[in-house]
Amino acid sequence: MNDVFSVELENIVKRFGNVVAVDHVNLKIRENEFFSLLGPSGCGKTTTLRIIAGLEEPDEGIVKIYGEDVTDVPTHKRNIGMVFQHLALFPHMNVFENIAFGLKMRKVQKEEIRRQVKKILEIVKLEGLENRRVNQLSGGQQQRVALARALVIEPEVLLLDEPLGALDLKIRQHMMVELKNIQRRVKTTFIYVTHDQTEAMTMSDRIAIMKDGKVQQVGTPLEIYYRPSNTFVASFIGEAVNLIEGEVRENGLVDTSLGTIYCTESLTKGRVAVMVRPEMVEISDKLHDVDNLFKGTVQSIIFKGSYIEYRVDVQGNTFIVHKHGSAELERMHHPGDFVEIGWRKNSSLIVPI
Amino acid sequence: MKGTTPFLKIFTILVFLFLYSPIIVMVVFSFNESKSIGVFTNFSFRWYEKVINNPEVWKALFNSFWVGAVVTIVSLVLGLMMAMAVTRYSFSGKSILESLILIPVIIPEIAEALSLLIMYIFLNIPLGPVTVIIGHIAFDVSFVTIVMRARMAGYDKSIEEAARTLGANEFQTFFRITLPTLYPAILAAGLLAFTLSFDDLIKTLFTTGPGFKTLPLIVWSSAARGGVSPELNSLSSFALSISFLFAVFRLRAERRLER
Repeated sequence: MNDVFSVELENIVKRFGNVVAVDHVNLKIRENEFFSLLGPSGCGKTTTLRIIAGLEEPDEGIVKIYGEDVTDVPTHKRNIGMVFQHLALFPHMNVFENIAFGLKMRKVQKEEIRRQVKKILEIVKLEGLENRRVNQLSGGQQQRVALARALVIEPEVLLLDEPLGALDLKIRQHMMVELKNIQRRVKTTFIYVTHDQTEAMTMSDRIAIMKDGKVQQVGTPLEIYYRPSNTFVASFIGEAVNLIEGEVRENGLVDTSLGTIYCTESLTKGRVAVMVRPEMVEISDKLHDVDNLFKGTVQSIIFKGSYIEYRVDVQGNTFIVHKHGSAELERMHHPGDFVEIGWRKNSSLIVPI
Repeated sequence: MKGTTPFLKIFTILVFLFLYSPIIVMVVFSFNESKSIGVFTNFSFRWYEKVINNPEVWKALFNSFWVGAVVTIVSLVLGLMMAMAVTRYSFSGKSILESLILIPVIIPEIAEALSLLIMYIFLNIPLGPVTVIIGHIAFDVSFVTIVMRARMAGYDKSIEEAARTLGANEFQTFFRITLPTLYPAILAAGLLAFTLSFDDLIKTLFTTGPGFKTLPLIVWSSAARGGVSPELNSLSSFALSISFLFAVFRLRAERRLER
């Protein structure tokens, strides 16, 4: 594994009045990684990003960029690029002048500026729009200008603060793929702040989940989806999750109000939650080959396009079950039907509360 | 407009007639050949010739312009700093400061003029162009601050942060980003400040020294001396047209701002 870190945060604390916005955050972000800070609003992700940029000063802790302590280096002397939430394009400049600004500040020769702007416009696919005013561009195009402006200075790390928030769904989906492609092309570390897990899951190599200023878990999208480190991460990630509280009896066995549930083996002890993703739960009139089996009643069904969502009542607990495939339409269960739901033991995970 | 009653139309026309008829009469009679004010005999530039050939008028016009220019520049710098302070930072006494900015706009000009004069006498400052300029600045700053503050309320500070991430230091950010984006507001506030200074009579009257006269002062003193005359009509029309020109500039600047 690559052990060069582009950004390191050591014990970062930031307070606004009585509120601790960032609470002892430690992160090591690898070179050329697409790294996301994901969390609900107010979790401190944007403040963390602004601390990396030098736009906020941490109350405690150290910020390093490529091993060098930059905690006291002002923003304009850190070699970073940033794409802002509302893009922050310069309204009095055209596309070329916007993109060239950073190069001008670096006293690059005119000819060289022209060459580099042309090159970056090709990468973000905006060739020929140099002389447009920024307010004449569409939302997606403005997005690309903001990206080009931050990338043309070849920053050591690119910081993105919810840059796709203002775009509508289709363009956003398109830009997600684009961003990832651009990141591969320019080979730069991207640190991406978002509250949208789809964006984080789609693009990231690794994700840090934040809540109340604290990092909850750092991992690949697969890791945080299937092996959440606590119930917050389990319920925050994914469309839905089933969590059943209980007590660990022995390795892989949890006693709950529904009886003993067989789980993937884990060293966690004491009070825990059993986590099962809705797509891992099977549903049928009669089930075979499952380790955990419960009888229940269908409460409601919702047709969601590519799958059907059932809510099944089992002794007062509601289970969410996702069933994929069009064939299901033929054998659909209806509210009031008695069904069996169940899953194999390696589909459920013991999660600390 | 649909739904407008004829009564409302007539009423509106009457209001505007009431507002503008004295000015129209003044401008029309400035072209009257006859010395009499009551009867229009013949169209003529006779009185304008008299005005234009009067060196005192030119001197006063020149004074009005340079006083206006100095007042505008100083008011803009101070007003911009004040507006930036109150829109960007929070500090103790901010709300008191914001009310203090408004006071020169509210209090009667005659009271302000008199208090200025008393202060100058008290401090033993000789009256002249300097005291006139200080008097104008004292309330132009308020107008500039109010205009700038309103325009800066929706200002997106993140463009300055963007400039800093791109390698611009604070000075470069101010001169290349902040100032150019505020340019329309500065233009509008500047033209307002100039017009206010150019048109001011009362404060100029109280604070000027012997021999230093601005255009409104000339108009006033000739009216005070000889009452109304055709020459005065053309002199006033002349002053009016200059103020009018600046008002048009200002409206155009403001309209550009709204886009």
